[in-house]
Amino acid sequence: MLYYLRLIGLFLRASIQEEMAFRLNFVVNILGTILSLTTGILGIAILFHVVTTIQGWTFPETLTLLAIYQLITALQNLVIEPSMNSLGGIDGDAWTGRFDYTLQAPVSTQFLVSFRKWRLWSFIDVSLSLILLCIALTLVGKHIGLLQLALFVFNLCVSLLIVYTIFLLLSSASLWQQGIPLTWIFNSVMQLGRYPVGIYPGALRLLLTWVVPVAFITTIPVEVLTRQASPLVLVAGAAIALGLLALASFCFRMSLRHYTSASS
Amino acid sequence: MNLRGGWELIKRSYLGWLAGRGFYWTLTFGWMVPSLLYLFVWATVAGQGQVQGFNRDGFIVYYLCFIMLNQFTYPVCNWTVGDSIRFGRFSTWLLHPMPPMFEVIATDIAMKVVCTPFATLVTMMLLIFLHPALPFSLWSCLYFLPALLLAQILRFLMAYTLALLALWNSRADALLALNDTLIFLLAGEVAPVALLPGWLGILAMVLPFRSMLGFPVEVLTGRLSTVEIWQGFALQSAWVLAVILLYRLVWHQGLRHYASVGG
Repeated sequence: MLYYLRLIGLFLRASIQEEMAFRLNFVVNILGTILSLTTGILGIAILFHVVTTIQGWTFPETLTLLAIYQLITALQNLVIEPSMNSLGGIDGDAWTGRFDYTLQAPVSTQFLVSFRKWRLWSFIDVSLSLILLCIALTLVGKHIGLLQLALFVFNLCVSLLIVYTIFLLLSSASLWQQGIPLTWIFNSVMQLGRYPVGIYPGALRLLLTWVVPVAFITTIPVEVLTRQASPLVLVAGAAIALGLLALASFCFRMSLRHYTSASS
Repeated sequence: MNLRGGWELIKRSYLGWLAGRGFYWTLTFGWMVPSLLYLFVWATVAGQGQVQGFNRDGFIVYYLCFIMLNQFTYPVCNWTVGDSIRFGRFSTWLLHPMPPMFEVIATDIAMKVVCTPFATLVTMMLLIFLHPALPFSLWSCLYFLPALLLAQILRFLMAYTLALLALWNSRADALLALNDTLIFLLAGEVAPVALLPGWLGILAMVLPFRSMLGFPVEVLTGRLSTVEIWQGFALQSAWVLAVILLYRLVWHQGLRHYASVGG
């Protein structure tokens, strides 16, 4: 365990050194975050200029949802996405054949592909979304107890676990079929989580709850904070996350067995 | 004008793009998601009652047309030109016995041919699934054609000019991101321009972004009076002229500034 923690420390240091070489990325990154936050907030503001509630969600609650969406994407960008993209993305290791070296390393392959690469600028995105979350919660104007906060953090972890398993599944798929940036598709679908899933028509809503569980990823943490989420939903979320984790790990091992190098 | 040469140019890019169609269809899907999101948002809102002349069907038709129009006018040169400058391919284009713009136009057309079937399929499925009442008339379709053409020219030229700024800095990505944001907010994607409140609505009516997307869609779905349509045409033409002037300026100054990269 300690060994793995030390390895993570090493990966972090290597990533910092790599990013320091491209300092301009810092500015571009901040600009991207600010634009994304602005469009998100303005979109909601324009909507609530016309109506007062949408499917029972008020302006502050929808803003909270946006903040959670931004927070989860920022955390996903911190380590899950860069690590997985360096395996299955464009010019990733599965594509170039560098994956052979990863396989030979004397540690768990799944650990290596999950924590190898960190994008540290995302810490700024994380803090910006936390600020937005605080503002939104102030607007909601409800007292949040310690228990509720603990439940929220627990749910945030469940959401991240679900995101992680989806990325692991997509990376496994990229070992079978190269050339399609599958994680982009997930990010596009994830965008639908900026608004409560209740607005989507039947079939799409079911898809977003049970197939790509965007509902569990973004909507439920908000409900924990702003309303009383039923205990059943919390347990279901955790169960789904654990089930997905087992499934994804299994699929990843199967794909490793299928993998037949890309280089000579 | 050498038509056969032009055709070969398109065919070459087309075959290149077709080879990676899984990749490009992923891109196409990414382009349509924001419109889809706001289709459902506004359709839900209108389900609670009429919103400034739009009912549920009105929003659905508006956004389905928007998805198709965005697909038709999406300027792929946003990133291909920047890349070619950064990696030095641009120098080869300059040596060819034709303006580099033809190369860019051919890529643009080829991309549209590759991506359009996918976008059409998704739109058709949504049309069948959501079955809104269709408001199209012969006149709206006739007015739509020039509006589409002008929108296409405007959006392409604007994107090409912005991408050429890479001649100075070799990274124009930040500006392109800003351009995308403005299109999202002011072209009618986040909401039809008529629904934008106060100063945002005024900005959207004056700036060129509505002319690139929202205006043709409004024409096609029959939301404008004849006077408003002609005003829209005038605005589109004025912006096309302005962007042509800007393009010529950027092109001539940029070439003087350009120091090649790579061999």
